[in-house]
Amino acid sequence: MAYTGVMPSARSRAMVREARHLLFTVAPGAVWIVIFLVLPGAYLMGVAFMTNGPYGLPEMPLSLESFKRLAGFGFLGWSPGNLYTLLRSLWQTAVSTGLVVLVAYPIAYYITTCREKWRPIMLLLVVVPSWTNQVIRTFGWMNLLAPGTPLSGLAEGLGLIAPNMGLYPSSFAVTLGLVYNFLPFMVLPLYAAFEKLDTAQVEAAQDLFASPVRAFWHAVFPQTLPGLLAGIVLVAIPAFGMYVIPELLGGGKGMMLGNLVATQFSGGANWPLGAAGAILMLIATFIGLFAMRRIGKRLGGGEEVVI
Amino acid sequence: MTNNKNILALSLGGLLLAGSVQAQENKLYLFNWTEYMDPEIIAAFEERYDVEVVQNYFNSLPEMFAKLNAGGVSQYDIIVPSNYYVPRLIQTGLVQKLDTSKLDNLDNVMEQFQDPAYGPGAEYTAPYQWGTTGLVYNTETFPDAPKSWSLMFDPEVNPEHPFALMGDGQVSMGGACAYLGHGYDCTDMNAWKEAARLLIETKGRETFSGFTDGTPALQQLARGVTHVGLSYNGDYLFFKEEDPDTFATLDFMIPDEGAEMWVDSMLIPAEAPNPDMAHKFIDFILEAEVGAQLSNYNYYASPNAAATPYLDEVLTKPPVQPSEADMERLRFTPSLEGDALQTFQQLWSEVQSR
Amino acid sequence: MRKRTLQRGLTAFWWFTLAFLYLPLAVVVLFSFNAANSAASFTGVSLRWYHQLMGNEEILSAFANSLVLAITSSVMALGIGCLIGYGMYRHRHRKLGWLIVLIYLPIVLPDIVFGISEMAFFVQIHRLTGLLQPGLGTMIIAHVTFQIPFVALIVYSRFVGLDPTLFEAAKDLYASPLKRVVHFMLPTIKPALISAFFLSFTLSVDDFVISFFTAGPESATLPIYIWGAIKKGVSPEINAIATLMIGAVAIAAIMSLLFSRRRPA
Repeated sequence: MAYTGVMPSARSRAMVREARHLLFTVAPGAVWIVIFLVLPGAYLMGVAFMTNGPYGLPEMPLSLESFKRLAGFGFLGWSPGNLYTLLRSLWQTAVSTGLVVLVAYPIAYYITTCREKWRPIMLLLVVVPSWTNQVIRTFGWMNLLAPGTPLSGLAEGLGLIAPNMGLYPSSFAVTLGLVYNFLPFMVLPLYAAFEKLDTAQVEAAQDLFASPVRAFWHAVFPQTLPGLLAGIVLVAIPAFGMYVIPELLGGGKGMMLGNLVATQFSGGANWPLGAAGAILMLIATFIGLFAMRRIGKRLGGGEEVVI
Repeated sequence: MTNNKNILALSLGGLLLAGSVQAQENKLYLFNWTEYMDPEIIAAFEERYDVEVVQNYFNSLPEMFAKLNAGGVSQYDIIVPSNYYVPRLIQTGLVQKLDTSKLDNLDNVMEQFQDPAYGPGAEYTAPYQWGTTGLVYNTETFPDAPKSWSLMFDPEVNPEHPFALMGDGQVSMGGACAYLGHGYDCTDMNAWKEAARLLIETKGRETFSGFTDGTPALQQLARGVTHVGLSYNGDYLFFKEEDPDTFATLDFMIPDEGAEMWVDSMLIPAEAPNPDMAHKFIDFILEAEVGAQLSNYNYYASPNAAATPYLDEVLTKPPVQPSEADMERLRFTPSLEGDALQTFQQLWSEVQSR
Repeated sequence: MRKRTLQRGLTAFWWFTLAFLYLPLAVVVLFSFNAANSAASFTGVSLRWYHQLMGNEEILSAFANSLVLAITSSVMALGIGCLIGYGMYRHRHRKLGWLIVLIYLPIVLPDIVFGISEMAFFVQIHRLTGLLQPGLGTMIIAHVTFQIPFVALIVYSRFVGLDPTLFEAAKDLYASPLKRVVHFMLPTIKPALISAFFLSFTLSVDDFVISFFTAGPESATLPIYIWGAIKKGVSPEINAIATLMIGAVAIAAIMSLLFSRRRPA
């Protein structure tokens, strides 16, 4: 060490050692994430501010062209296509998250009412389908909902779909695929919340309020809120950016923001526009995260929400 | 503990292996359409030149173009795009000129393919196969189907049976243009706008089932998912041969309003890892007997004059060789550039997102 | 009385949900044995689609790629993530907000944004330096990036759950830091390491989008192959490959059940 003068005190030596320790343990991972995620992300943001070249690749000079395009302004004046895509993404996310909550609540509660030795097995049963690849899961639904299958026949018989058509491809199939894909992500945190439930409070509430609905609303719901919010974060964010499910089940009618972004790259259309779409997606994600944190802090009685 | 070490050693070994395999010299990377190559031709080529051919596939030209831009330009030795993507490949510098001194069999190519409009002086391209894109429909559902795009675009002709358009926007737009009377190869702005409106309307119909690429469209038809679709004449015959029972009720037609004719060519990407072997491969495909074998396998017409004597009989009549009347209505898909391309992209993305 | 009907309703709903969860997988398995090429009717039991798989070199290499990718990336992520997890614990009193943000970034980033930014970046780097050619290498890098945070968080929470006096005791017991790591730390966090490894492995196998955008000509994984096959429209064979993957997952599930049973609660 090129350190002359007064001998460093034991305390400052310890501090140096601690700092070095921090560096050695944290630096490899931090540097990895910076090089392989932060820099690429920054580069992508840069691409969004570049000009679209004649064949879809980014070019200098810098411009805001791609954001204008994203907002719908092009050669032909304003057109609502991208706005539809954005609204469709929001709608699909909201509906599928809502449905996931409706299914996951009773399931998570039911598991906590079962005998303790069954619970890990029951949780495993809920989680195992998500261990297979999402392409395979979605393919399963393609099989189930195609024209001529019993489910499609049933829907046709009930007059829900036009004759000869299947339940897939349709935006209904996309919603279903999303619910299927994300159900476990909601059951797990809700189960954790139900497990910690203070039963004394619930019983008191049952005595206090005549209706079970009100008992639930006043005693159970607030206690499970942190789990619910964590679940919403785990479901809504990936659902909003989903690419595979609308691509396979939507059949060209259910385009979501993820598809808009992806086709700019995988269909060779317009990199800067795709990058601008990615920025929009990021902004929406962070707004969602921030909102969840705020709601969690306000309603959860100061309890910190995971993530 | 030892177990973990083994896993570590194994995977590090795998990583090294993966790194070194890519660097290996004696390989040829072929990037081709799906279901477009006879495995026996590959085997014969591998044997003759003691090389391993690695095949990758694409289902549409936009996909192929995107993959080249995403690093593929230095990873593939041969690509097989259609005519209307050749100019943009040349202009973006994604392909290199062919070294004709290495291509002895270039003389085998038919005269009309030797100086095609899309590849200046054939400096970059060697023809592979040619064919048409037409409507494939279920003859049980439509016993007297009109020879027309109305099977898709007119809700009165096809009120209640699912149909799919093509994923490649230029072909779907061309079809809409043809139906509207502007010709398949329209490039006029107003015609395009009208076609885009028609496509958006068509998408809104209950029986529209999606955008499908040419080869999978046939699978959908075979499985009854759709009753009308867009596909290629050769693929239709290929799958018909494979599954005659199912395809007995499917027929291929070229609408009277006009449709697409295309030529697929072999090109070498600008930074191909093994351009030498790529030339050998092109020359191999251009051999009379290999060219014939390819067409006999694929059911596509051969641009190879020398191959003619070896061709199966089915290749000499419709739908492989369109009738003269049909031939007059067939057009190349226009290759777009500049403002025209930008305008088209915007119209098409509008169609997709509605 | 009311409680009983509620419970009965919940039980029924539970079984209904299980059916919902397993129906698509069951259909894939069932139709992989279908004699006919049809998604609508089952005409008889046959192994023809499995026979078709056998000779298919592409599928075999896709399978090998999936394994190499999952194992290599999980091992690397385990090493790097473990260090961060420990560092976060040891220095938990410092202000490490930036680190937390960095670690949550790969978790909250939508897959598609993750995938295309890596793709665009790798292409650019390759153009400039010739490094990072798309292939297994770039896929491993991408996978490690999204696995690190999960490993770090699991290891961190295991350390937090430990009695702090244990560390003091270990300090007295083993003089050298290396011995402390080998004889104390690694054994104590072993359960966390195992579950972190399995989670990383599962995440890698489940991923499609990020792999898809970072893959090269020879690095297709099973999901990428299946995606290509779906896009190509050849269906019965996909059922057979998917069934093999579902079978592997089922075995893993049973194993993890046995494993968690044997461990004392």
